Amino acid sequence: MTDPAARLRRLLALVPYVLKHQGATFQELCEVFDVSREELIRDLNLIFMCGQPEYTPADLIEVVMEGDRVYIGMADYFARPMRFTPSELAGLYVACSALAALAGSPSDSALHSAMERIRRAMGLKDLSPEEVEKSLEMASPDSREGMLAMLMRACEERRLVEMEYYTYGRDELAWRRAGPVSLVFRLGHWYLNAWDEKSREMRVFRVDRIKDLRLSEERYVPPREREPLSAGTGGIPERGGILVRLRFSPRLAAWAEEQPVFTEKVRNGEGLVCALRTDNLSWLERELLGWGTEVEIIHPPELKERLRERVRRTLSLYEKKRRSRKR
Amino acid sequence: MNKLERLMNLVAMLLEVRRPATLEQIRNSIPDYRKQRSMASFKRMFERDKSELREMGIPIRVEPVDAFGEETGYRIPKEEYYLPEVEFTLEEKAALLLVSRFASGGMIPLSREASSALLKLSPDLGRSGEEGPLRIPVRFAHPAESPEALSKLWEASVRRKTVRFAYRSLGSPEVRERSLDPYGIYFDRGAWYVVGFCHLRNEVRSFRLSRMDRVELVNPDSPDPDFRRPAEFRLRDYSRVLPWEFEEGTEYQAEVRLSPRIAWWVERDLGDVYPFRCLEDGGAVIKVRVRNEDAFFDWVLSLAEDAEVLSPPGLREKTVRRLEEMLEYLEGEGK
Repeated sequence: MTDPAARLRRLLALVPYVLKHQGATFQELCEVFDVSREELIRDLNLIFMCGQPEYTPADLIEVVMEGDRVYIGMADYFARPMRFTPSELAGLYVACSALAALAGSPSDSALHSAMERIRRAMGLKDLSPEEVEKSLEMASPDSREGMLAMLMRACEERRLVEMEYYTYGRDELAWRRAGPVSLVFRLGHWYLNAWDEKSREMRVFRVDRIKDLRLSEERYVPPREREPLSAGTGGIPERGGILVRLRFSPRLAAWAEEQPVFTEKVRNGEGLVCALRTDNLSWLERELLGWGTEVEIIHPPELKERLRERVRRTLSLYEKKRRSRKR
Repeated sequence: MNKLERLMNLVAMLLEVRRPATLEQIRNSIPDYRKQRSMASFKRMFERDKSELREMGIPIRVEPVDAFGEETGYRIPKEEYYLPEVEFTLEEKAALLLVSRFASGGMIPLSREASSALLKLSPDLGRSGEEGPLRIPVRFAHPAESPEALSKLWEASVRRKTVRFAYRSLGSPEVRERSLDPYGIYFDRGAWYVVGFCHLRNEVRSFRLSRMDRVELVNPDSPDPDFRRPAEFRLRDYSRVLPWEFEEGTEYQAEVRLSPRIAWWVERDLGDVYPFRCLEDGGAVIKVRVRNEDAFFDWVLSLAEDAEVLSPPGLREKTVRRLEEMLEYLEGEGK
């Protein structure tokens, strides 16, 4: 059961919506008001019972459901929704500013002009834009300027893109072609769900790892399967069959405990034993290099061997100097 | 009769009346009220309804019914109730629908209020005609940390109200009560932080929201500000502090050479904080401020063979030693 005040708020917006958009479809109204078809019909039936005193049929609001479409009449007094409360206006302003920051600059001339219109129409007395700017900041998650806007356009127009992408899992930078379907923001990063031409599968790409992007003229037909299988841990391949087990020292244990990538965390004295699944070890070598001697590899032994190789390769950067003063 | 129906009818009636409606008129008009046996029980019901509607922000005014001013009645002035009509372009509508998607995820302060504002705005965001509503191919799947605490902290920073909360520091199981003059909040890499003057440490510090509990105002009943935010305070000075810049210790500059394979990626991440010098091969040299060497090594070594510490010489030597230690450690383990 929804909260009655929330439902009343919805009803007081639903009537003006249909008054302005006569013949709106059920599907449209369900999407806009985020309700099921049953809830919508219940709302419309309730509106149908309301009106002006005497409440004779001639005084009641007219609600017509014709096929898939909805019409409302005799409700001029509800022609407009209710005004914003001061905190609603502040909330809207904050949401707009935060999104503009999060999306980098792109879509955002439209966002800024929309905000400006709202501010002019409603006034924003209690809160200055400067105050919002000074008290709230969202770091734009490092995507190249305009990239999100380009990807959004590709999603809408079903255009194929060519992108130079850094695959963290395999530690590899390469060009590939993909058909963008949707963008998701999670765990502080933007992800692109796209049809990957090479693997003929839906894949998840992290937007900040797209080095370069070109919009092609080619269109593509989105596949039936709309959402990729999983993107829970944020771009790190997690469906794989390799089980990795690591022991973190006390210094890193608390940090490791907060990382969503580990599926299993068990206290081990002062340390922490963590497990994760992956289909590729390359990305993990980098992480392990950073953690240094604070982490012990319990499993698999192959990872230890590969890490040793990686450390040697990194050391060779410094080799010249080292050899010259070798013990 | 359904309560919502009664409230809708009451709003409809008070919007349409030419003159303020007296209690008597209201009672005689709306079926639910008429059914009440006594004036007293009607009044109780009406008072409850009225205060609920006012809480939602509906401007129910009490005014004299006529020039004599002896009797008062109720009405809702249309000009105060109606949301001004705003004409948006198609691009602006799309942008606001995106904001609506964003707010419904609950990851920002006052997100509930923003959603309710956008609901009211929906008639102006719809698209007439056959195309149906605009579709937005973007989702916000960020788990909301604690929308109430976030809203409270942000409002407290805007109103300059001191807050108190229980805080678990990273790496310590101990929970301590803190009080803080919040200056602002920021979101970075998936987490919210509040920055402010910490009364325990007597300095400006950042706190992570996910480690806070029981956030409350210290003086909730006073409308006056509890503190002044220093004019020179800039949130950016705190929000972009990198892990290896934390802690005490002397600060120095380190130069790191980045390979062409990752230079672009590091620049995207840190280009706003540190100077970058591009090299001809597509790589770059970056100048980094370092205070906390452990954290610096966590970062620079994770770049593996794509990053070389150039200077100062002491740091370069330590890098080599770290790598050698790691090799020994791995070989020791292998036995």
